Amino acid sequence: MGSAVVIIFYGSILFCLVGVVVRLIKFIKMPVHLKWEFYKGSSIYEQMEWWTKEQVNLWEKVKSTILDVLLLREYYHRNRPFWSVLYLFHLGIYLLILWHVWLFIASVAVEPETASTAGLIWGHTATALAFIGGLGILIKRITDSELKLYYPPLHYIKWVVMLFTLLEAFYAVQYYFDASMPALLKYVKTQVTFGDIEHKLHPPPATAIHVLLASIWLIYLPFSHIMRLFLRYYHYLVYDDVPNVKGGPMEHKIRKLLGLSVSWSAPHIQKGKTWGEVATEIPKELSKGAAGK
Amino acid sequence: MKRIKVSDISKNNEEQLLHIKEEELMQLPYIGEAENKGEPVKPLTEKQQAGFEHSLDGVSACTIPKPKDKEEEERFVRSFLEGLKKLISEKDNWTFLQQLLLSLDSCAKCQTCNDACSIYLGSGKQDIYRPTYRSEVLRRIVNKYIKKGGKIFAKLTGSDVDLNWATIARLAELAYRCTMCRRCAASCPLGCDNGLITHELRKLFSEEMGIAAKELHDLGTVQQLKVGASTGITPPAFKDIVQFMEEEIEEKTGKKIKIPVDKKGADILLIHNSGEYLSWLENPEAFAIIFEEAGISWTLSSELYGYEGTNYGVWYDDIQFSRVALKHIEIARKLNVKKIVVGECGHATKALVVIADRILVDDMNFPRESALPLLYDLVCNGKLKLDPTRNNFPVTLHDPCNMVRLMGIVEPQREVLRKICPDFREMEPHGVDNYCCGGGSGFAIMQSMNFPDWRSAVSGRMKMKQILEAFSDVISPEHKKYVCAPCSNCKGQIRELFNYYNVNEKYGIYYGGLVELIVNAMVDIEKPFIEWDWH
Ligand code: HEM
Repeated sequence: MGSAVVIIFYGSILFCLVGVVVRLIKFIKMPVHLKWEFYKGSSIYEQMEWWTKEQVNLWEKVKSTILDVLLLREYYHRNRPFWSVLYLFHLGIYLLILWHVWLFIASVAVEPETASTAGLIWGHTATALAFIGGLGILIKRITDSELKLYYPPLHYIKWVVMLFTLLEAFYAVQYYFDASMPALLKYVKTQVTFGDIEHKLHPPPATAIHVLLASIWLIYLPFSHIMRLFLRYYHYLVYDDVPNVKGGPMEHKIRKLLGLSVSWSAPHIQKGKTWGEVATEIPKELSKGAAGK
Repeated sequence: MKRIKVSDISKNNEEQLLHIKEEELMQLPYIGEAENKGEPVKPLTEKQQAGFEHSLDGVSACTIPKPKDKEEEERFVRSFLEGLKKLISEKDNWTFLQQLLLSLDSCAKCQTCNDACSIYLGSGKQDIYRPTYRSEVLRRIVNKYIKKGGKIFAKLTGSDVDLNWATIARLAELAYRCTMCRRCAASCPLGCDNGLITHELRKLFSEEMGIAAKELHDLGTVQQLKVGASTGITPPAFKDIVQFMEEEIEEKTGKKIKIPVDKKGADILLIHNSGEYLSWLENPEAFAIIFEEAGISWTLSSELYGYEGTNYGVWYDDIQFSRVALKHIEIARKLNVKKIVVGECGHATKALVVIADRILVDDMNFPRESALPLLYDLVCNGKLKLDPTRNNFPVTLHDPCNMVRLMGIVEPQREVLRKICPDFREMEPHGVDNYCCGGGSGFAIMQSMNFPDWRSAVSGRMKMKQILEAFSDVISPEHKKYVCAPCSNCKGQIRELFNYYNVNEKYGIYYGGLVELIVNAMVDIEKPFIEWDWH
């Protein structure tokens, strides 16, 4: 049982890393698409000879991304009732992620006995926020006629697992570790430093279950919206509003893409020719030539 | 109101999912019983019903003939699946693959975007018109029929759409119930672009199955590539029109203008939507007057493809789109002009300036821009002598989605109006938050069976409401009012809307472009350029 927990845990970390990297590579290698942005205000096209003007302001884009993620501000503006629970949940999750980072660092950097209870409050508050938010989301997904529409069964299970994960984590800290920061830090330290292998192989149920649940979320991560958001913002920062400049890298990419062959079956498309050919060699029946001349 | 589930689309029968009823549509101010013609959308005749698919909402935009036998049904399904595979392949669909996959993947089912959709709201919130409905159908088909293990996990993932003839035929029609204004995309917190999914569906139907609205393909891009313009105007006919324009300009303004045609080496090649030459000649005339007054070096082209700015390919078919865009560039290169300027036409501007950007390489990557910044420069930097009091009537501005939300050209046109129209008022919402006129993505030119009724009753309903509200303080017909719509397709739609609701006669509301207002304010022209005759 003990070694299974260890294998599942490290396995899930590996899976998560590999999954994320594979998805990233797949996405980055995908061909660049035609220009297809939308704007929240004025753009460069308001200027005459826009191609001679400064194109993208990366800093503006980065700023907007950070605000989106930190505040979920699009939801705030467009769907306030949903935002209220969604935000509680996300705030909780963000704080929990930070808490784990702190926990791992503190376990090796701080003398456990001197750890203050502030850490405990932080962890519990974050868990409570995530729990209340998550429960709120689940309730809304069950009761709200709009939010339950199209919501697939799998995702209800997801929320139940999420709430259980949070509850169990609270139980482990509060009752198994007796709400003692020093005990918790010592435990984490042995984990991080691989100190007590014996303990690792025979974990107590409270921590074993926590590790197993964490593994589930690690396996889920590469398929979750977190990954998709990452890809979306990556795309936004790297591709949006990037013009095709003569002799530039974009033109190079496009030239390659125009060489791909087309296999669409409709009669107006020549099968088997390249994009470039299909676009320039218009089939006879389409271009009877200058009919009016 | 009857609720319609996503899986209802695969009911393999002829039962209509939605019956559009007047009492369920969004309420309009001022429009009373008289204008509401009882049945908002005429039912199809029995013959039409027998021949064509109409089981979505009783409307036929694509005139899809009913299958003759089982075998034909099966071929239809196979062909769709083939197309779907190509749609998600790099080779066949590199043009939008990345965006499509991201949009298929990223919907959180929060339904936030629905409230952004003028068609959904206009219809009185009918389920099938949700921006999410169409996408969810496609998503469930992909999850079930394309993804590995899709059928096994179908229950868990809620992928309950079955593929059969009716599903696909309804989906094809449904791809023509969205104007691709992408207001929903702009409102999605997760970046899911349901407008793009409409685009991709139309593409699958056109590029694989040869299904498209006739006005976009046969009478649109195919006709354009054949005779030079989707309006059917040929080069000799175009030259006659130019001569007529010169005569009319002289008659209206006393100005003797020689409109430059095929002038090699001019700074600007101006391309209009050729619909202007047929329906609103005053618009290209006004451009000519302004450009000549400002001493601009410019030209029109009378060459095949050179006098038609439209590119309907942008609405349904990447290949037709590319073909037309390349023709436009070739013309400009041949004339050796410095840049192409696209007149008041939203989709033509976006197609050539923005979307084509990533198919043009080497010398084909030719400078292109919208006319609006130039007009701003002429008006706001004092290059024309203008007297705003000549435009002393209420004016509101319709923002063409293609130029405003989808290109970010927001201010130039409003700056011009603020300068030359003392009673300019915004409609709400406006700018990048504008609602589509309801004629976007080709709707304005689509005339199939009862589709025009649907276009006015449902898809343009929100715009009608906005316009009426913008003029609520001057609603009586003795106040002549002007809706400025700097886009040919929007104008076409607004004309149809005004006819349908009879608002020109009852409320004295007219419509037209931006340049007409500029010329109307020119001090050296005696008679008003805007003649207030309904056309
Ligand atoms: C712009 C930023 C973000 C938005 C708009 C957003 C939005 C959402 C939405 C709509 C859900 C689904 C709720 C439901 O299923 O009812 C969700 C769930 C969730 N979010 Fe976010 N989120 C964002 C960023 C993040 C980040 C950065 C994290 C963590 C690092 C995160 C963690 C989660 C988790 C763990 C869930 C629950 C599992 C899941 O549905 O995938 N989110 N978020």
